[in-house]
Amino acid sequence: MDFEWEKEYRDFRGEVRSFIEEWRTPELLEEYARTYGADGPELRRFRDALGERGWMRMCWPEEEGGEGRNLFYQFIFVEEMEYWGMPYGNLTYTSIAPSIQRFGSDEQRRRYLPGILRGESTFALGYSEPNAGTDLASLRTRARRIGDEWVINGQKIWTSLADVATHIWLAARTDPDVPKHQGISVFIVPADAPGLTIRPLHAMYGGHTNETFYDDVRVPHADLVGGVGRGWPIIMHALNHERVGLAATGSLARLFDQLVAHLAERRPERLEDPLVRRRLADLQLDLLEQRALAVQNAWIISKGGTPIAEASMAKVAATELRTRIANTGMDLLGRYGGLSRENGELAPAEGRMEWSFRIAPIFRFGGGTNEIMRDIIAAAGLGLPR
Amino acid sequence: MNLDLDPTQTLLRETTREYLASTVPFDRVRACEREERWDSELWRGLIEQGWLGLPFPESIGGGGGRLTDAGLLLEEFARRAAVVPLAEALVCGLACTRSGSPSQASAALEGLLSGDVVPVPAVLEESDTWGVVEARVEGEQLIGEKLFVDYGQFASHHLVAARENDELGLYRVDARDDAVGSAPLRTIGRTPSARVVYRDAAVEPVGGPEALRDLILTARAFAAVQCLGSAQEALDQTVAYAKVREQFGRPIGTFQAVQHHAANMASRVASTRYLVYEALHALDHGAATPQQVAFAKASASRMVPEVTMLAHQIHGGNGMIEENDLYFFTLRGKDRSLAWGSAEECLEEASAAVDAPREWIC
Repeated sequence: MDFEWEKEYRDFRGEVRSFIEEWRTPELLEEYARTYGADGPELRRFRDALGERGWMRMCWPEEEGGEGRNLFYQFIFVEEMEYWGMPYGNLTYTSIAPSIQRFGSDEQRRRYLPGILRGESTFALGYSEPNAGTDLASLRTRARRIGDEWVINGQKIWTSLADVATHIWLAARTDPDVPKHQGISVFIVPADAPGLTIRPLHAMYGGHTNETFYDDVRVPHADLVGGVGRGWPIIMHALNHERVGLAATGSLARLFDQLVAHLAERRPERLEDPLVRRRLADLQLDLLEQRALAVQNAWIISKGGTPIAEASMAKVAATELRTRIANTGMDLLGRYGGLSRENGELAPAEGRMEWSFRIAPIFRFGGGTNEIMRDIIAAAGLGLPR
Repeated sequence: MNLDLDPTQTLLRETTREYLASTVPFDRVRACEREERWDSELWRGLIEQGWLGLPFPESIGGGGGRLTDAGLLLEEFARRAAVVPLAEALVCGLACTRSGSPSQASAALEGLLSGDVVPVPAVLEESDTWGVVEARVEGEQLIGEKLFVDYGQFASHHLVAARENDELGLYRVDARDDAVGSAPLRTIGRTPSARVVYRDAAVEPVGGPEALRDLILTARAFAAVQCLGSAQEALDQTVAYAKVREQFGRPIGTFQAVQHHAANMASRVASTRYLVYEALHALDHGAATPQQVAFAKASASRMVPEVTMLAHQIHGGNGMIEENDLYFFTLRGKDRSLAWGSAEECLEEASAAVDAPREWIC
């Protein structure tokens, strides 16, 4: 056992940090917040710079243009980017790219991976439907094959970023006559495809998600991923990768640090209160415990394993902790805690505590509800019977 | 970064587990509890196995292992609810061998490994506060009273925290001396503990305030790993039970509510496991801060009752009776969660540095 990060990892973290220091300008952050990472001159410049560093593909296999680096590098990269709130491609990069590498055809890899690397291709996830949420396998959006094309009809919901993404990673039913898990296929659908309608649903965290309607949307057979009826394992693989991203400690640690920094600067007398310090120590221990699970998870991936129970543990811990930090943080900040970032200087921690409280529920049910996560821990981790 | 046990550690864990499973039936543990004694027979076996020398340098006759290895050993002993002062003797041995000359260190270790010396620490007093030490040494004689001296009534020597001219230090006392009187305390852990009175007992100085601080830090990390052992065993027994116990015509482990309790138990154990071994590893490399050890112990201390109470929820009435083995871990776990710093104490201690600059990630 060795809990020390080797020099190469520490050096890499230093490299990422200096890069962030150089690029973390108010203009970039403003554009990111305003467009929810969609697009803009600052974001494009930043993504070009990221692309030049090769960090987006460093853990990809060499034959895919990567360096085949240990997954710990990606863990460190994501942790730092999350801590500093930088736009780095997130889901497309952590979840979709590995799925295309693993399940995509040669042509799909050639067509999509370079664009993902350059930050030009971004994906929205077309999984959930109004009547297929946690029970995702009962989805009903239908794809019928006509010649060399698939014609898609149906409705998806919670297709976040569909309005700004270039593509949708779509799960549709290609065969209604087989058991439900076996009749699903994954398609790559251009977000501007004729027949695709995107309607925003405004959410309480200030952003929006979307409903998407498919009305005779045509997709060439070449954009079906991994074979007809082979969609379910692909979705599970992508979801597992998504959970690794959802479990990142970076943004949670920053939320905590901002809370403490704010109290130290503006409310020093409150920070002297032993009860306040005790509550902060509780949160700090929660963070250490959550990060332990995240590192454990990254360790298994770095060895070439697939953490299933471990990924779920880290996801549950991170997402429940986000709620706890935001809630306790606001309590410790008093009425100021409820001020949003529009209030400028008056809002503590750039209004992030207040905003985190509004967005926190998403993470607990998104990417697989925490209840399903616990089912997975019990089944895959502890071997409890179905 | 390597979170797997290395092959010698795996071997150590397996040998210890097999040895304990074959030589210490749980009924023997029950007998020790009933008769309010320690398992001196297991102590002899432990010495024969050479485990006691594990975390000491080879240069003075030890096994050349680390605290991390001692942690693995302690975890296995906790999983068997063994009634021996392994953690206590190890922290005393470490304190004695770390101070003094190499020849003094060898002599101290020799006594320990021969079985002639069974030392335990005596630190806390009536105030139950680490900094408050009223026991005093005058003219090489100790006067004072100590509480919560675990295994104190069976030990050959006590390593006592006392003041001499206001300076804190550690002193070795022969516990069989008439000047030492002990009375048993009955604790929730059902392992021996004592109140001890020293009336002009002869002492040998062992070390100063740093030696005392080191001893507390190591003992705290060891108690954390004992909490972990109790929790791990409670979890494993509970999962096994949920697979075979049937209600409504099916194993209760198929019910989602039961599965979620078990999943929560497993996650809590996994977090603590990482933090506890990380702290031991840091202690091995001289890199541990008191805050890190306090957080690791706080994690273990607050985790173990959560886990054992869920274990009871899943076991129902069967877990309450003493013919079932679960109660060992509930009681021992809670006892160790209080020992060497409860969750409250450790979190309060850690909170002193809550606004210090920190590196989450390094």
